[in-house]
This record gives sequence, structure tokens and C-alpha cells, in this order.
Amino acid sequence: MATPAQVLEQVETQPIHPPPTSFWRKHVFSTDHKVIARQFLWAGLLFLLVGGTLAMLIRWQWGFPYRKVPILGDVFLGANGGLIGPATYQKIFTMHGLIMIFFAVTPVLIGTFGNFLIPLMIGARDMAFPKLNMYSFWTFALSQALVVASFLVDLGTAGAGWTSYPPLATNVGTPGAGQTLVVAALFVTGVSSTMGAINYVTTVIRLRAPGMTWMRLPLTIWGLWLTAILNALFVPVLGSAALLLLLDRSFGTQFFVAGAAAVRGGGDPILYQHLFWIFGHPEVYIMILPAWGILGDVLAFFARKPHHWYRGSVWAMVAVTVLSAMVYGHHMFMTGMSPLLGEAFMLFTLTISVPSMVVVLNWLFTIWKGSIRFTTPMLFALGTMFVFGVGGLTGLFLGDISMDLYLHDTMFVVGHFHFTMAAASFMGAMTGLYFWFPKMYGRALDERLGKVHFWFSIVGFTVVFGGQLIVGWAGQQRRLFDPFQYTFIQGLRGLNQWTSLFAFALFAGQFAFVWNFFKTVFGKAEPAGQNPWEVTTLEWTDATSPPAFHNFDVIPVVLRGPHELGNPEGKRLLGRDWIGQAEKVPALRETPAAAAKA
Amino acid sequence: MGAVSSTAASPSPDGSLPRGRVIPLRRPGEAATAWLGMVVFLGSWAMMFAGLFFSYGLVRLRSPAWPPLDQPSLPLLLPGVNVAVVLLSEGALVLALRWLRGGKPRPAAAALAGATLLGATFLALQSVVWVSLWDAGLRPDGGPYPSVFYALTVFHALHVAVGLVALAWLAGRALASGLGPPGRQALRLWGMYWHFVGAVWVAMYLAVYVV
Repeated sequence: MATPAQVLEQVETQPIHPPPTSFWRKHVFSTDHKVIARQFLWAGLLFLLVGGTLAMLIRWQWGFPYRKVPILGDVFLGANGGLIGPATYQKIFTMHGLIMIFFAVTPVLIGTFGNFLIPLMIGARDMAFPKLNMYSFWTFALSQALVVASFLVDLGTAGAGWTSYPPLATNVGTPGAGQTLVVAALFVTGVSSTMGAINYVTTVIRLRAPGMTWMRLPLTIWGLWLTAILNALFVPVLGSAALLLLLDRSFGTQFFVAGAAAVRGGGDPILYQHLFWIFGHPEVYIMILPAWGILGDVLAFFARKPHHWYRGSVWAMVAVTVLSAMVYGHHMFMTGMSPLLGEAFMLFTLTISVPSMVVVLNWLFTIWKGSIRFTTPMLFALGTMFVFGVGGLTGLFLGDISMDLYLHDTMFVVGHFHFTMAAASFMGAMTGLYFWFPKMYGRALDERLGKVHFWFSIVGFTVVFGGQLIVGWAGQQRRLFDPFQYTFIQGLRGLNQWTSLFAFALFAGQFAFVWNFFKTVFGKAEPAGQNPWEVTTLEWTDATSPPAFHNFDVIPVVLRGPHELGNPEGKRLLGRDWIGQAEKVPALRETPAAAAKA
Repeated sequence: MGAVSSTAASPSPDGSLPRGRVIPLRRPGEAATAWLGMVVFLGSWAMMFAGLFFSYGLVRLRSPAWPPLDQPSLPLLLPGVNVAVVLLSEGALVLALRWLRGGKPRPAAAALAGATLLGATFLALQSVVWVSLWDAGLRPDGGPYPSVFYALTVFHALHVAVGLVALAWLAGRALASGLGPPGRQALRLWGMYWHFVGAVWVAMYLAVYVV
């Protein structure tokens, strides 16, 4: 059966839905994927600031325990004399993790780029289900509201760690409405993610422009599509865990309550860990696959070369997607899991490094001998490569059972997942943001401020999370209110202080971005033009900046892959080193095979 | 299919479309796209139920006795009747769609109403089961056994209730004015949902009540 796009090709005229006229339909309850993307961006960046502020409080506590918090202390911790108490500290690190993962990075990386890029890069007018898309955003906004509400109730917000492990997360460990509200927010944000995933999966399958075959998709779309599949399959498992935890907290059921608090044997806290990590490990890849995809395209664009072994990267990403569902047990080596099962999980975990290496090596081969343009997005892409490399390599230690027994629950784990999920996801998102900003808002972000932002970020991330790796290796446990109560950690006081100072610098550097963002969106920057980076994909070659409501006046017919850069014959014919995906160049000999056919 | 609007404007000589004209969006292949979206949704939601069944299995494996000796065992008859009710309701829905496609709106509307009534019967019978067990002393806070029973059956019943509202709305429209192509499309999609909920019930009957 012909796809809708192919049918469109056959009909003479292409229908366009008229743009909305009322304020509400245009800016608030919009079904336009580009507006929804910008809504997700605002919502995500706002919570990124909240999550970052919480991180600064954690760093203050580790660097300067029992000392009054400057500036923030009087505002938020006035009741405690500006000090962070143990209970407050617990809530701070819990909400830092939850907010960053579910309410900051996910909306920016998946909500923003998924919504903005999928229709534009595959040559569609909008998502397959625009209304569902709108519901997805407003459901997400509801979940954020629940998180905000949790800060305002008696006993404060959640404090059971970002994983919300029972029995700590049950009423026995963390009484009060705050934890309940946050678990409910997790369920609601899961519903939002599922709605988004349904849209993404369906849109890529059904609405690709004519000629946009699977092997001509930009790698960004591959990353986002595979992410959407993982989201569709595994977010509902988190939903089931959150649901049962809510029942345990609110209706007295006993799924996770055990021991003295339980009746008739009670449930099993380990059950929650299974459910959580069945979701949780794919989630790690949910947060990195979009960044991988963005990197694949951006590195090729600014190295002015086709991506090295495109198919290899695609299949490697598919392989990672499949394997990511089979490794969750490596989070549970310490739960008394059978050694045989543990070894199986270890085997799959270490196997993932093979396709991951294919992806990383392809990046290196892509920039090898390229005519690199060191723009801000390119710098961020190179930075992402570096921090992801460090994060990935330290993962090998943790995937190995015998090493994990020693490193489990140390700061080494924290350093590892911050390099991958925080530094790499964040810098991948910034790569995309600096790169697509001209398309989203019609104006490019300032390059000089962007580079300041980049250097603060790369140095900050490397030193801060590197410091965590080192103190973890030395034995410092994660989540400790006062790590220095242990004599053998006291020698790490200086290292922790230095790490904290670099963390504050990292945080301060982010305001270069904030200033840049507002200056560009609300200031009087020059229009960026349709294709400022001189690249090949449809959103740049066939749509204005920002795109019209219906994206494309005529749906483009795609003729070639996404990275037709540096083709010598194209340069001879067109006088430039790039050829658009849908650009007709009759004199161009496309490939040896096509030439032979001709 | 073939829903491309004939009022669409033709491109002007310079290739751009004339602005300012209202052109309705009727994408070709919309039905197949909606079908795929529904399949992805149901596959996704099935994982949620899989998570619940997995939890049930693990909790039950850890329990010394199931059901505990001092707690009532679950009835087989009424939930079993409910399996038949669900299957009949699904059958009525299949017939309704077939008759709609065959151009018989009146029997189709009747079948749709029948499917709705059977769905309501399911909830009524399930309520009887809950009430009788509650009266026999089975409460959600009585340990893992009642936890599993109430969580799984109530969560499923909520899904039935959602489907029931949709079916009732569609049946009302079918009886009042008949279903046009959009209504038929809605019925087809809600039918998929209804079959999904029915399949979950059969699995739940076997796993929770029988085994």
C-alpha cells in the first residue's frame, strides 16, 4: 500500500491545513509541532535551571558542610538558618535527579527535538496525530505542576532518591504527600511520553516524503525514532511500578512493603527494583540515542564530509536499542541475584560496547581529514564525543560484577552516569539547540557567547564529574550528607572543595547561554536566512526559517542521502560543497550504480 | 482513502501555493496511519499490564500460601461468566462493523448498543464480585494477596469503563443519526481497544482467578 506521501506525489495539488487565527490556538493549545517543540523547550529549560540550582546545593554541602549557604540559603533555607539539614539534603539530591532526568533533559532532548525535527526532516506537514501531540505537552505540563506542588506540601517534596526505592519510598520511609505527588508526577509524565512516542513512531513510518527511504533518513531521525520505540515499550513499565507504589502509599496495598511493617509476609521491595530497571536501563539509552543521532549529522555537516559508514551507524544504533532491553540486571548485582543470571547480564552489558564503539569510531572517521568548521554546535558535538567517551569507558568497570561489588553506590557510579546521562545528554542537546536555533526562531544564537558557554561547560563537566570518579574510586559513598564523618574520607576534603568550586563555575557559565537565548529570541538579531550552515537536510533546504505553518509549500521529493557534502563533481557543477537531499542536479552523476543504469 | 480534497488550490506559476484560502486537511491514507498509531498505543499499554502481571507473579512466588488460609479464595463462576460476556460483546462489535461496512446501519446500531450493554453487564457482575469479597473480609490492606486482586481487577475495570463511555457515545450517535465515515473510523479504533481490554480480561481470569 502506498504511503500517504507517495499518494501525495501522485495527486496534482497538495492540501494544506489553514493556520489557526485565535491567540489560544496559536500559542497555547496549538497543534503545530513547531509551537509544541518550543513549549517543551521552555518547560525543559526552566526545570533545567531548577535542577541545576539543586545540584549547586548538593555541591555546597559536599564542599563546605555545616556552613551557611550563600545567597540561596536565606531565600530557601531561612527556617534552618540558611543551613542544609540532613532531611533537606535528602530531598535536594532526590529532586535534583528526578527533575533533571524526567522534567528537564527528556523534554529538551525528546520533546523539543522530536517534535521540531521529525516532521521537518522527513518532509511532512506535521505529526501524524497533531492533537495527541498537544495533549502530550499539556499532560507533561501537568506532571511539572505536580512536582512544583510537591515542594509546597507539609513535610516537603520526595526524599527517597531519584529511583524511589521502597521501602524508603513507602509511607514507612517517607511519609507525607510530597513523595506521593512526585510518584504521581512520574506516572503522568510517563503517559505524556507514551503519547509522544506513539506520534513519533507512527509519523516516521507513515509520513516520510516520497524518496525518503529508511537509509536516507538523517541520523537524528534514526536516533529519535529508536528512542520513541524504547519509550513506547518501557515507559509503561515504569508506569506500572509508579502505579503500584501509589497504591502502596495511598490504599495500603502491600506490593513493596516487607518486614515488620507488613502483614501476612508482605510484598517484595526487590520487585520494585526489577520494574524500575526494566524501564531504567532503556531510559539511559532514551536519553543518549537522540544525542547520538544529532551528533552523527552535525559532525558530518561541519566536517563537510558524508558520515562515515552511515549504514553501520544505523545498525549499530538499532543493535544498542535491542541490547539496552536485555541488560537491566547490572543495576542489581548487589541484590543477591543468582551469579549465573548476573553473569548473563554482565555479558550483555559488555556486549553493548561493541555497537557503541562502531558509532563512536564512525564519528572519528567522519571528522578525520574533514574541512572542519569550528562553529559552536561543532564544538559542542566534539565535546559530547569526549564526555561520552569517558562516560562509556567508565561504564565498563561498573558492568563487570567483580568491579561493581567494590564500586557499587560510590561516587564512581555518580561520576559515570553524569558523564553519560548528564554531560553527554546535555551537550548533545546544546549541539542540537545551537544548530537548529536559526530554524526554530529565525535567528542564530551569538557565536561568541556560545563559545564561552561551551568552554565553561566542557571544562566544568570534565572536572566536576572527573572529581566524582576519583573520590568514588577512593571509596566515597554517594548520597552521604556528610561524607567526612568517615575518617578515611577526610583526606578527600580538598578534592571535594575544588570539585565544588568548578561546579559553581560550570553553573555560572550557563548564564552565558541564558543571556544569549533571551538576547536572540527577544532582541534585534539579524534574520539567519534559510540555510545559514550550508547543509543538506530538508528543513534547511526546503523550508524557510522559521518554517511556515504547513512547513513545505510542496512536499519535496527526496533524491539522495542526508550527507551529500564535499562531492567534487557537485562542487564543479554548483560551485558549492553541498547538495540538498531533494535538490535536482540533472548533470550530476549520482553513484556508479546509477551511472551504469543510465 | 481518496480523501484528498478537490477544493485544493493548484500551485501558481512560481510554484508556491496561493495564500489565504481555506483548504481542509484530509490526508490520504489517514485510516492506515490511525490504525498504526493504535497498534503502537496498544503494544505500549500492553507493557504496562505486563508489568502488573510480572509483579503478581513475583509476589505470589514469594508468598508461603496463596490464598492465605484465613482469607477467602476467589470465585470462579461470575468472573467466568464475565469472560463469556466480554467475548459476546467483542463479537457484537465485530458484527456492528461488518454490517456498517455492508450498508446495514440499523442492525449495526443495534449490535453496537448490544455490545455496550454487555460491557455494562461486565462491570455490574464485577462489582458483585468485589462487594461479596469485601463483605467476606478481603480488604486491599490485607497483605499481598488482596493487593494483587484489587489492583489488577480495578485497574482493568477502569479501562473497561473508558471503553464503555466511548462505545455508549458511538452507539448513541449510531441510533440517532447513523455513523458517517469519521464515526466508522472511530468505531474501528475503539473496537481495537475493546478487543485489547477483552484479551487482558481473559488473561487476567486465567492468571488471577483460575491458577
